[in-house]
Amino acid sequence: MASDSHALTTQEHSPVAGLAHDQRGGISNVVLGMLLFITSEVMFFAGLFAAYFNVRANAPQWPPLNVETGEAFHLEILPLVGPATVLLILSSFTCQFAVWGIRRGDRTAFLRNIGVTFVIGVVFLVMQATDYILLYEEGITLSAGTFGTTYFTLTGFHGAHVFGGAIMLAVVLYRGLAGQFSARHHDAVEAVSLYWHFVDVVWILLFSLLYLLPGKAPAAV
Amino acid sequence: MHPLRHPRNAIAVGLFFSLVGVVYWFVQYWADFHADIAGVTMLILLGVAVSIMAYVLIAGSPND
Repeated sequence: MASDSHALTTQEHSPVAGLAHDQRGGISNVVLGMLLFITSEVMFFAGLFAAYFNVRANAPQWPPLNVETGEAFHLEILPLVGPATVLLILSSFTCQFAVWGIRRGDRTAFLRNIGVTFVIGVVFLVMQATDYILLYEEGITLSAGTFGTTYFTLTGFHGAHVFGGAIMLAVVLYRGLAGQFSARHHDAVEAVSLYWHFVDVVWILLFSLLYLLPGKAPAAV
Repeated sequence: MHPLRHPRNAIAVGLFFSLVGVVYWFVQYWADFHADIAGVTMLILLGVAVSIMAYVLIAGSPND
């Protein structure tokens, strides 16, 4: 059949099913693996979020009192959280522009956007490290009660995932510079972009939870 | 592609599972029990995980 002659072979099918030129359906092993990994990561962060909500719900007030200073913890001292959040959201756009670029065979647009995404990821990590230093100077440490523990566990694990994503982006950038990706062969780019979007979504949830959700006043005696 | 196998239906599957978490919370709230916040959070986010898995099953199946 004529339509079968245009069908992509098993090795050449599109990384993500549903693309217009994919006649066979299916999904590449790389993207499948990444989706399964992201699924497990969703439950990993679900456990961390659940722990945070549980601690928060059972605390008499939130943020609780710092046992060392006697004052409630406050995160308003962090100047870089807002800009870091904007940058990370922006990086999801540049990452997707890179994917769209390589899908249409535009290697220049792909390399430019994946490079920008990588740089933004590194800048985000530097900003987070700067915020951590400020928090430690204010006495908010990993061992400063449940607030410090949950805050640093949540943001720390997210930072570790950003670090992992930055390494993936660096590998994709290197392979892109070496000319290993084309419009038909770019499974790794699709997989890394999925991971980067996931990391971005988790940060938006974390940011909303830690910085935007109103605190809980102590019950009147 | 059969309409039921469209990838966007994965969202419906995920929402259904998340709804279980909402019902779980509501029953506790309605019955004035101590709310199991951790369980509610895990159930709702399980919906997200199931949604991704449903996408994998739907989109990963060959068309022929």
